[in-house]
Amino acid sequence: MRAMKMKNTISQTRLFLAPMVVVALTAAAYAAAPGITVGTGTTFKLTAQAAYITQPDGQAVYSWGYGCDGAPGGYAPLAITSTFCNSMQIPGPTLIVTEGQTVQVTLTNNLPPSAGNTSILFPGFDVTTTGGVAGLLTQEAAPGSAVTYTFPTTGRAGTHAYYSGTQGDLQVEMGLFGAVIVLPASVPANCDSGLAAANLVAETHWHESDFRLAHAAYDHAKSCYDREYLFQFSEMDPDIHHQAQAQVAAAGVCTPGAAGCSLNVATEPYHPAYFMINGRSMPDDMDTNYAAQYPHQPYNGNPHMHPGEQVLLRVIGQGRWQHPFHEHANHVRILGRDGNLILSATDPNSLAGPLLFTTTTTPGLAFDGIFYFTGRGLNWDMYGHNSTSSDPNAILGCVPDANGYNTGAPTAINYYEWCQDHNKPLQAAPFGDVAAGGPVTLPDPNILTNGAWYGGSPYLGPDATVRATGPTGTTPPSGTIANSPGGEAGFAFMWHSHNEREITTNNVFPGGMLMMMLVDSREFVIDESN
Amino acid sequence: MANRKAGTPMLLAVLVTVAATSASAQSFRVQCPTTTITHPSALNNNNVEPAYTGPTTLAAGANGFLVPSANVNGAIKCQQISGGDGYATMGDGTQTYMFSFGPLSGLADMAAGKPGTQFPGVFNTVYTGATPLQPGDPATTVNALGAFTYNGAVGQVPDQDYGGVIDGHVDPRQMLDIGVMNGNIPAPLMAIDEDDEFFLTLSNVGMIMRPDLFEQHTVHFHGYPNASAFYDGVPDASVAINIGGSFTYYYLAPDAGTYFWHCHISPPEHLQMGMVGQIYVRPRQDRVSTTTTLLSALQQQQLDLRTACNSDRDILCSNPLPAVDTGKYGAATVLQGGTSGYAYNDGDGSTYYDVEYPIQIHGFDPNFHFVGMTFNPEGFADMKDKYFLLNGRSYPDTVTPGPLQTESADGQQHFSQPLPAIINIPAGKKALLRISDLDVTEYQTLASLGIPMHVIALNAKLLRDQAGNNMYYNTNSITLAGGESLDVILDASDATVYKTGQVFYLYTPNLDHLSNDAENFGGLMTEVRIN
Repeated sequence: MRAMKMKNTISQTRLFLAPMVVVALTAAAYAAAPGITVGTGTTFKLTAQAAYITQPDGQAVYSWGYGCDGAPGGYAPLAITSTFCNSMQIPGPTLIVTEGQTVQVTLTNNLPPSAGNTSILFPGFDVTTTGGVAGLLTQEAAPGSAVTYTFPTTGRAGTHAYYSGTQGDLQVEMGLFGAVIVLPASVPANCDSGLAAANLVAETHWHESDFRLAHAAYDHAKSCYDREYLFQFSEMDPDIHHQAQAQVAAAGVCTPGAAGCSLNVATEPYHPAYFMINGRSMPDDMDTNYAAQYPHQPYNGNPHMHPGEQVLLRVIGQGRWQHPFHEHANHVRILGRDGNLILSATDPNSLAGPLLFTTTTTPGLAFDGIFYFTGRGLNWDMYGHNSTSSDPNAILGCVPDANGYNTGAPTAINYYEWCQDHNKPLQAAPFGDVAAGGPVTLPDPNILTNGAWYGGSPYLGPDATVRATGPTGTTPPSGTIANSPGGEAGFAFMWHSHNEREITTNNVFPGGMLMMMLVDSREFVIDESN
Repeated sequence: MANRKAGTPMLLAVLVTVAATSASAQSFRVQCPTTTITHPSALNNNNVEPAYTGPTTLAAGANGFLVPSANVNGAIKCQQISGGDGYATMGDGTQTYMFSFGPLSGLADMAAGKPGTQFPGVFNTVYTGATPLQPGDPATTVNALGAFTYNGAVGQVPDQDYGGVIDGHVDPRQMLDIGVMNGNIPAPLMAIDEDDEFFLTLSNVGMIMRPDLFEQHTVHFHGYPNASAFYDGVPDASVAINIGGSFTYYYLAPDAGTYFWHCHISPPEHLQMGMVGQIYVRPRQDRVSTTTTLLSALQQQQLDLRTACNSDRDILCSNPLPAVDTGKYGAATVLQGGTSGYAYNDGDGSTYYDVEYPIQIHGFDPNFHFVGMTFNPEGFADMKDKYFLLNGRSYPDTVTPGPLQTESADGQQHFSQPLPAIINIPAGKKALLRISDLDVTEYQTLASLGIPMHVIALNAKLLRDQAGNNMYYNTNSITLAGGESLDVILDASDATVYKTGQVFYLYTPNLDHLSNDAENFGGLMTEVRIN
């Protein structure tokens, strides 16, 4: 009994401590889809090296990853200015190119000599190789040597995986994988007009930067987006990493090919204990991109969005298992897989990809999908408007556009409000300055437990939440430390693996493949520039 | 053991104290209004589903929001569930401990394999049986050869402080008598109709076998589009109800489809331990008259932006007008209130079924459940299911009609697994399988040996492209992870092929899942019988 109690106490403590760490370290920890470009050069110079990555249980895990061999030609998106590309990172550097560009990647093998050759596969691309030595699947780089891969990208817009083609059961497990993002050569005109343009006006009004790599995922009018995130799912069995570490140390500085200069790591039976998004486990994944404490895990998973924004999800299954990635709050329209847009058989202007609330990630497979949240159909005003109030923010107007949303006023707090529910109350007899006469009575706050990401009221945004809970009512509740009622008060949703045992870190909940997605009211500034 | 016995009365004492000192502090209570802004009783009988002829007429109201003025669609639906613990019987006879939800309304309906969701007129009735509600009921009364017909909210009593009105005031004794150690697997079945307002009250009765835990429970409506964070059931992102309290979830029914629900407290633990259930939303098309074409009814839905699907404007809707006009009218069999219906607002009748079966796939790891009962720390990474469940049962229990009962630690029989998983199809008819999966450890495959599986929807969305082409496909197996659902029609309408008396099987080709722990026979399998 005592042991169980302790476990419970630990998880509770972790639950509340973890986000506190996030908040203490960074004021804004958002995601985007950061990566490197060739800049004015012609070649991505990568290296494969060993290093230690950190996990939230305090472990430093010996791993192999791709990294930059010298400074890259450039970084994208440009709005993220604090960047680095070390000589080893997990996932490997995201290679951002524009359709039509010929991609050249030179890989130098700086893994320990006993690890043998390594390589990169670019599935879905027509790759030619220069140099290296012959391997099973492609030309490989011998220890200390290099190989160059070249491929065209015409017609290959979208998100793609890359990963080691050499002894994949070990090398992919050790961390040798990454992403290629091919931006469409031409962006359809409708991605820069209408609502897309209005969203940009709203962004500019609130002094938000544009963190997109492009304005469309494909050369297709139905692939426009306002915000984007890249998530790569992988898992680790620490025993494999320990074995590799021990055998590399035992072999020492040796001559590749010589007796004893090789590894014999058992990769089965497989018992992963770390389940990661972009190389990090929760809560580390919600720290910033390029956070200094993760020199080898620069990419995060901490999505934010405003109501109505079309959000592009670029998701890749790395590692060896499938993971049912569940997006709370709405469905995802799958645009395409591995850069192949899925269109109607009878109408090339119509999409045909499925709508999913659980998007399985499959090893080696990438998909692009569009998500949004608007609150349509809630049947109550999520901004807590109150037509009888004297507070100007409580009596904002809502003029429905052709879709029923308040998009005519891009600078308003309630831009993109669902007008059919405007002013409609939720609570029968609310405490604060929100509309009364609604269908429900909330429980006494004394018999509730507040979550760390609870915004402090049922309503969206600090303005509505302060009206609902203070100053005439109770003060905002305690414990809501990761989504402050007076500062952010977003709608928080959990995005996670629905193989629920994978939202743990080395047997401790919470952890693993889990992140919180925040829908933020317009008056909260989403800053993805870390 | 000593701990357990000591803990039980202590917990009960706490509960009773909370209840006694809180006339207005709202500990346990239920909510099921008989009239709302959306469903004013002056305009609408909220105890039936009105026919669908077109969108609700909305007009500007006095308080700055739109109110219905005519043609009100949908009704009010209410349900109450307990969050606590209980026991279930596995296919090899083992009694397994669970963290679980149990029914606290619609008890008689649930014992009959039906949803526990009720109209206010039923939910708000006070129990008037000759003998008080007994622990274990309805099993206790039924086993004593009594009749159990009560479908109201357990605990509902007249509020004597307000002249004896029915206002959600409850007698916690009844709720504890029924709700404690009364878990179901799957958790209580819920079913609502599009345009309904749904009030789901979760009353946390505590986990008697684990007095060391003071856990909250929540309800996550998995897959609800445009969910609110407050009612999404994620404790980290909202509030969670403590032991001794009730929380009422409120939603306007989302788009029709097969959803499911589960607790979101420490999900690897609470889901594995059994806090998983089913919910589905029936389409407006079920309420279309026999003189109206399904296509024109879907065209009516396009006139309300809340119910419209315009693919050029909304990338997340799946039922634009069908590419082919089949000219079909509302089916008489559906309106007669039998078992038939449509799975989605298809506009072409292509999702019609004669009988429907919610089927939930799950798995239990007996080691984890044993550890979960015995106060030991649980490992997650090596969780391995050994019982593979369809509606909480393994074969051959899947084909046992009626509720399965299990004796809990209170010495009473409880209807622990109310839903059979047998698929009975009348000869010449079509069955809709609403399949969801809440396994927390691995993907599971379910295959049909005989009748092809006609897949019409994934994740509560019709399989239709933006140009209106149905993208249904036939297969003989489907594979789901925890957190996924799909809809399959087993079409036995060709009576020359599928004859009365024939038996087919739904089984898993994951052959190691055709077992009940140590028994190498059973597992994820059930029968499809042509009647």
